[in-house]
Amino acid sequence: MLRPRSDPNCHSKERWGVLRLGGRTEPVREAGSSASPPPATAKRRPRLFTAELLVLLVVVGLGSRGLVAEFFDGSAVQFWSTLLVSIVIQALPFLVLGVLISGAIAALIPPGWLARALPRQDALAVPAAGLAGAALPGCECASVPIAARLRANGVSPAAAFAFMLAAPAINPVVLVSTAVAFPGRPKMVLARFLASLLTSIVVGLIWSRVGREAWMTRARSRLVEGDSRWAAFTETARQDFLHAGGWLVVGAMAAATLQVAVPRSLVQQLAGHQLLAALCLGLLAVVLAICSEADAFVAASLRQFSLSARLVFLVVGPAVDIKLVAMQTGVFGRRFAARFAPLTFAVAVVCALLVGRWLL
Amino acid sequence: MLLLVGAVALWLGLSQAALAYVRPGLRPPLAASGLVLLLLGVVALAWRPVGATDGHSHAHGEQGPRSAWLLTLPVLVLLLVTPPALGSYAASRQPPGTNGGSAGEFPPLPEPVDGAVPLLVSEFVARAQDDRARSLEGQRVRLVGFVIPDQGGGREYQLARFVLACCAADAEAYTVQIRGDATPRQADQWLLVEGRWLPQPVPEQTGSFTKPPVLLADAVTTVHPPANRYENTQFPY
Repeated sequence: MLRPRSDPNCHSKERWGVLRLGGRTEPVREAGSSASPPPATAKRRPRLFTAELLVLLVVVGLGSRGLVAEFFDGSAVQFWSTLLVSIVIQALPFLVLGVLISGAIAALIPPGWLARALPRQDALAVPAAGLAGAALPGCECASVPIAARLRANGVSPAAAFAFMLAAPAINPVVLVSTAVAFPGRPKMVLARFLASLLTSIVVGLIWSRVGREAWMTRARSRLVEGDSRWAAFTETARQDFLHAGGWLVVGAMAAATLQVAVPRSLVQQLAGHQLLAALCLGLLAVVLAICSEADAFVAASLRQFSLSARLVFLVVGPAVDIKLVAMQTGVFGRRFAARFAPLTFAVAVVCALLVGRWLL
Repeated sequence: MLLLVGAVALWLGLSQAALAYVRPGLRPPLAASGLVLLLLGVVALAWRPVGATDGHSHAHGEQGPRSAWLLTLPVLVLLLVTPPALGSYAASRQPPGTNGGSAGEFPPLPEPVDGAVPLLVSEFVARAQDDRARSLEGQRVRLVGFVIPDQGGGREYQLARFVLACCAADAEAYTVQIRGDATPRQADQWLLVEGRWLPQPVPEQTGSFTKPPVLLADAVTTVHPPANRYENTQFPY
């Protein structure tokens, strides 16, 4: 059986007082205001399973509805399956990179060490964590398991989320591809860097004010107690992959469904209105779920839109898209994702518009 | 599960099959991640009996969450259906691709080979619509792409190629209107088309092109689809 490590930060993370996968009820101090009785583990597992089943059914239902509209056109099904397979294949190497780093953190860095290394106050820790995101050359799939691991390691959630939002947007690889996609417009690179960093910091600070631990119903208490560092490393990486992988597929199915159901040309008719166009491209970024290393090329080709609107596309994409929401649901829980995604979307759009007005 | 996904990823990374879904540069990382997953799977398998026999509390034998079973879905789709590379259906759902960024500046055209300059469809579109120096003028060019039949049932058709930045989800179709080919062509047929660019005026209302450029074809031959059916954005790495 899995046993939680006696971690001084544990009580602040687990408000439910139940370590879900531990199969063992552990009375823990309540951190929040409302005292919810700890539900029995045996009851929780099937409930979660039905939640997953529900999401699956909704996605499949939506998919079949889009396909019905195509009169069960065989090519629509083919299109859908090509997209599904492509998104999963494209995300796989980055997800593996993410879980390897997560495993390394679990195995090599003692719990609580990172929290002590970061400034104590969120007001300082959040910008620091956001800037640290520049060091991870990956796309957004990698950063979700890493952020979850940082949290389990004792880093404050606000700082962990700032890292999660910043890493896929401001790392050198992404900035270089942005520079290549927008030749002769170095300001676009600068604007993307600033707007994404700003988004991650603002979301982090807001979260440190209003965020509730209880929303993270799937909070990670699964610190694996291994015989050795090697065992902890492999086991963490394996578990993290399995947890995020299934939800990656859910996200890929949803993204493929939306791409089949909503033709891209629909979006382009709104290019004329400034604000509407920005919102529209923000939504497009959520729907398309493009890897952050490639989205600059797509943004470059949306030439009917203003640079500011395209900046919104570039800032929203790595921070919140349908694939990420699914993965966050799997890793942090449904209640978390339902609040975090709209917050991030709104902040990202506003930040991008402000920076765009200033720079572009 | 890990073994299955890992094995499939490794196979994809080493074979040509991945080219239908992602850019070629992603194949080595894909193979590497497949290898990592295989190793993780083997390690988990090797340790499981230890935890089971000595009764020591281990995490090694613990099964993953049930949602992980969803990973079998893309694997099954891939192995059973093997979805093809994007074709005319997907292309017809997009507005005609236009090239972004470098408006106006183009390097000189490559030398003609056997009487025509071989060009990518996306490059032809870019030069036709963006080149101030009009480098295509009077040049005989050679394009390879697939057919999108005319929506209205006319004889003209479009020759298209998808450009991939990362994976098929971000693919953009670039199309060229082909004139002068009397033979009826079927959707998704691969053609080698030679001919000359027919310049069109920029629509005054929009100030930019809303229709694909036109190629006046003088020689059309059917060809086998290339191994990589996409054209790829030039990645700096």
